[in-house]
Amino acid sequence: MSSLAFLSPGSSVTSRSPMEPGAAAAGAVFEERDGWKVAVSFPDEDLSRVGFADMSHLGKLEIQGDVAAVTGHDLKRGSALRADGAWFCPYSAQRAVVLCSPADTASLRDRLGAAAAGAPSLSSVIDTTTAQGALTIAGPLAGELFARFTALDLRPQVTPVFGFRPGSVARTGGAILCEAPDRYLMLFGAALGQYVWTVVADAAEHLGGGPVGVDALPSLDAAEAPDA
Amino acid sequence: MSGVSEGRLPEQSGERIERDSELSFTFDGREVSGLEGDTIGSALYANGQRTFSRSFKYHRRRGLLCCAGQCPNCLVAVDGAPGVRACTEPVREGMKVEHMNASPSLNFDVMRATDLVGGPFTPPGFYYKTFIRPRRFWPLYEKVLRHAAGLGKLRKSQPEREWRTEYRRRHADVLVVGGGAAGLNAAATAAELGADVVLADEGPEPGGRLLAEGGVTYARELVERARRAGVEILPNAPALGSFDGLVPVWQGDTLHQIRAQRQIFATGAIEQPLLFPGNDLPGVMLSGGARRLIGMYAVQPGARAVVATVDDRGLHAALALIDAGVEVVCVADLRERANGSAAGALQRMNVELLSGSTVLEARGRGELDSVVIGPPGANEGGRTFGCDLLVVSGGSAPATSLIAQAGGKTSYDEARGHFALAHVPDAVHVAGEVTGHAELEAAERSGMAAGADAAHALGFGDAQSRERADAERERLSATRASDSSVAVPPPVTSERDGKCFACLCEDVTAKDIHLSVEEGYDSIELSKRYTTTTMGPCQGRMCQLPAVRLMAKETGTSMADVGTTTPRPPWHAVPLGAFAGRPFEPAKRSSIHARHRELGANVMWAGDWRRAYDYGDPKAEAMAVHKAAGLIDVSTLGKLIVQGPDAGEFLDRLYPNRFSNLKPGRIRYGVIASDAGRIMDDGTICRLDDESFYVTTTSSGAGAIYDWFTWWLADWQLDVQIVDMTQGLSAVNLAGPRARAIMGRVTELDCSAEAFTYLDGKQAEVAGVPCLILRIGFVGEVGYEIHCPAAQGEHLWDALMDAGRELGVKPFGLEPQRLLRLQKLHILIGQDTDSESNPFGAAMSWIVKLDKEQDFIGKWALQHYENEQLETTLVGFTLQNGHVPTEGAVVMPENGSPMGQVTSARYSEKLGRVIGMAWVPAALAKDGARITISDEDKRFEGEVQTSPFYDPDGEILRS
Repeated sequence: MSSLAFLSPGSSVTSRSPMEPGAAAAGAVFEERDGWKVAVSFPDEDLSRVGFADMSHLGKLEIQGDVAAVTGHDLKRGSALRADGAWFCPYSAQRAVVLCSPADTASLRDRLGAAAAGAPSLSSVIDTTTAQGALTIAGPLAGELFARFTALDLRPQVTPVFGFRPGSVARTGGAILCEAPDRYLMLFGAALGQYVWTVVADAAEHLGGGPVGVDALPSLDAAEAPDA
Repeated sequence: MSGVSEGRLPEQSGERIERDSELSFTFDGREVSGLEGDTIGSALYANGQRTFSRSFKYHRRRGLLCCAGQCPNCLVAVDGAPGVRACTEPVREGMKVEHMNASPSLNFDVMRATDLVGGPFTPPGFYYKTFIRPRRFWPLYEKVLRHAAGLGKLRKSQPEREWRTEYRRRHADVLVVGGGAAGLNAAATAAELGADVVLADEGPEPGGRLLAEGGVTYARELVERARRAGVEILPNAPALGSFDGLVPVWQGDTLHQIRAQRQIFATGAIEQPLLFPGNDLPGVMLSGGARRLIGMYAVQPGARAVVATVDDRGLHAALALIDAGVEVVCVADLRERANGSAAGALQRMNVELLSGSTVLEARGRGELDSVVIGPPGANEGGRTFGCDLLVVSGGSAPATSLIAQAGGKTSYDEARGHFALAHVPDAVHVAGEVTGHAELEAAERSGMAAGADAAHALGFGDAQSRERADAERERLSATRASDSSVAVPPPVTSERDGKCFACLCEDVTAKDIHLSVEEGYDSIELSKRYTTTTMGPCQGRMCQLPAVRLMAKETGTSMADVGTTTPRPPWHAVPLGAFAGRPFEPAKRSSIHARHRELGANVMWAGDWRRAYDYGDPKAEAMAVHKAAGLIDVSTLGKLIVQGPDAGEFLDRLYPNRFSNLKPGRIRYGVIASDAGRIMDDGTICRLDDESFYVTTTSSGAGAIYDWFTWWLADWQLDVQIVDMTQGLSAVNLAGPRARAIMGRVTELDCSAEAFTYLDGKQAEVAGVPCLILRIGFVGEVGYEIHCPAAQGEHLWDALMDAGRELGVKPFGLEPQRLLRLQKLHILIGQDTDSESNPFGAAMSWIVKLDKEQDFIGKWALQHYENEQLETTLVGFTLQNGHVPTEGAVVMPENGSPMGQVTSARYSEKLGRVIGMAWVPAALAKDGARITISDEDKRFEGEVQTSPFYDPDGEILRS
């Protein structure tokens, strides 16, 4: 094993989301996908108002150092870039997180790791997939739902599609990525998964929403920045 | 009470009620009928109710006064919730309305005796004067006084007091506070230029004075225009304050936290009462209140009225009363000469218009039955008029409180007799009557100008819109702020007998203000605190200006010199529950948490984590670790990856001992000292490879140590990177004599004592999960601390439990862990140390490498500690008598004052005695020394032990 191999989930054991207990209690139907137990659907799921889906299985790679050299992209702070099916989300010029499908995580980690090794200054790529939980919140009332637990300004004129906003969510450190109109991906500490699920579910219920499975979310394959 | 149509006027233009939609509710148990659109106040008034509440201190009858939510006169309890303003609270079917602050009934209140006989004995602060002796009875007095006075009672049952409240964070380009003509124009204009605008209005329907003064249709057109432009309108939503750009707005069960780049305050002006004896009698009503009853609810406020005014507002009210069929017997206008269309119209109607006169006294038992009119200051004489309604208008006070909270300033306007805006801070705009533009056209123009200015300042609009705004401003400046003349009323109109209330909320009379000055409280701020004027539910809306006038009179100074009190939030009375919002209590849980629950764990808070305290029998759990094996979830440990060419040097600089010479695959214990040499945290550091270290910290110290590391890294600029993996990795500690055997069942790694020695760190798959395994032993038995990706932590736990089941493995919690580590004299940072503890005192001098070539944090201080004589030292101790001392129990010398304290103590089943750790005088820090522990008023003799109680030589750990 390489010196940091213990950070990445093993392929022979099913990985589980920190929000699995909440999803199970809400009646989720689970399937194993790319080594993860994923909530694919819920009874009576509906995105006509607002829904939230557990996306903790997404791969998350933290880049430190020369982000541009490692990613090959000139990332602008506050705005994510979508390339090769992955999101490149900059916290700063020296730190970014890359979000990708679980199937692509290992190969992307290796590819970026190789780039980091060749970067002109100290750079690294660490698999932080299990360090963060992720929820996609979508629907016409997504902004209203966020307003119940975060002061981040998610109005389209401030956080347009592809906007990336690190900040406090439900009084914990997190970040929000606007994936598409009325659709946001929220990151937060994995150990807070059950707490965040409770907060979001409670707020969503009072807005007429609830949990949805990942299959209820439209594909982002065609996601494009507004000016693309 | 019944009969919806009785007491209602013919249909009024723009009335808010729906005559075909009847609603029923109860007031003090009696059924009352109202109409959709009614407020509680209007419905009750239409049903003949004139007394709505009893006053705070004297329990005097109070009736409707403002009908706009400005005064305290109509506070009632609705469905058990106290402090609801009847005049603005819409009627709902089945609602239960009750009076407050009167017993046994609203009509017969025994506490009225305080008014009838207690006057001389109840000056401001009387409770501290009269009830000061004997002091021991004060708690009793306080209880009685609190029952006697007050603003209603909360329900006794906790569940009945709870309701769901929400916080809603709203960002906007522009926030407009106030939904009158000016505010609506400002909002619409800013939104039409492209700004994202929120408008918050106190009333149930935006429109302000237009609603009561025949402009309902126009008000609704303005609202529609604003909505079309995209303005988010929040009705029934008072702004509570202004906090550096954050304006909380309370709307029912939601507290909007609005952060706008620009704020427009169109908060209007508040009609002021006049001060005269009997000015609080039911039947005395502000002109705006009377007009609202007529115009919005088609309720006739009285049958026979007298009007007393200082400006045209009262004259217009008189005309409205006449239109509503009220007999207006006279209008007293304080101005020497009233001109204008309203005065002319009244004269044509043969209404007696008394110039230079005002109301000198209001009379009545329980309700108004007559008033005395005459020149101000006439303490005798005057003409008496029988009436059941006295409509007063004492001028207006611009509602500047929120603007002042945002940084605005006011100054006294001699001509108009009130405090007007003198300075408006940056990013704040003002419009409408709060700026003196009371007339509709001027208010609208000022609103449009403010809206355009706010939008333009944010980059919206274009050259044309700027030109339009400039033109609007020019037209506005050509308009006089108000073309209506005003007579500034005297502080009190007469000195006749009877209470003359300056502050209706707190029952403060003009005489009370006089007394406060006599007693030395001669500034408005001191008087406020002494008399509590302006501190009641109206928050100074009704009493600020009268109090300043009285203070100026009493001190012989000018209004400008007296000034105003500091406006403080909340500007509008609000239930405390509205601030509570939904509680956020971030709780971290390990990925194995559900298993602990299934195993019956007692869960407790440990820092910001939820942890298994025990599984029902902590002693048995500890013994299982000694006899077979135990498994504990230690995922809460802080876990940092520190990597880079300078990682070793970085750690050498942070810790008092060395890490740059640690071999890959080996582990070393470390204590972090502050720059003052005090112990901050501890943990283990495993070198993963030449440039990578795995650092663990205490559970509660994880965040602080990550911050500490990154702070110093930013300062030192070393080639190092740090990643916090605390929440990304699960960790379990498998410990006990059979731990090695269990490991042999779940991993192919050679876990023999020879191949995997104490303080080795190795990576291997355990039950298919990639893990970092640390051979360390916090609990004193052979142990493996296994770290793995959190997403597979539960699988690892299950695999270890399954593999160890027949070998006797048991889960153990925090409590047995604390006992086990105590047996080894392993310290708990924060439990056995405090912010003053240094490694020498904590008996860890071995960890401080002052000969280290690398300078490190705290070195200077630690060098001094090394050369200083220690006062106290942390040692182990045993007690033979079975008493487990309280943690914090005092260590006593033979004679003298306390010299230390117990930090940890438990009874050890394994050792058969009580063991503990304590700070003791350094001279006693030797094996066999006797110490005395004082606990719960008893003294216990103990014996010091400086080496671990269990496996003192570490043979078991290393085996």
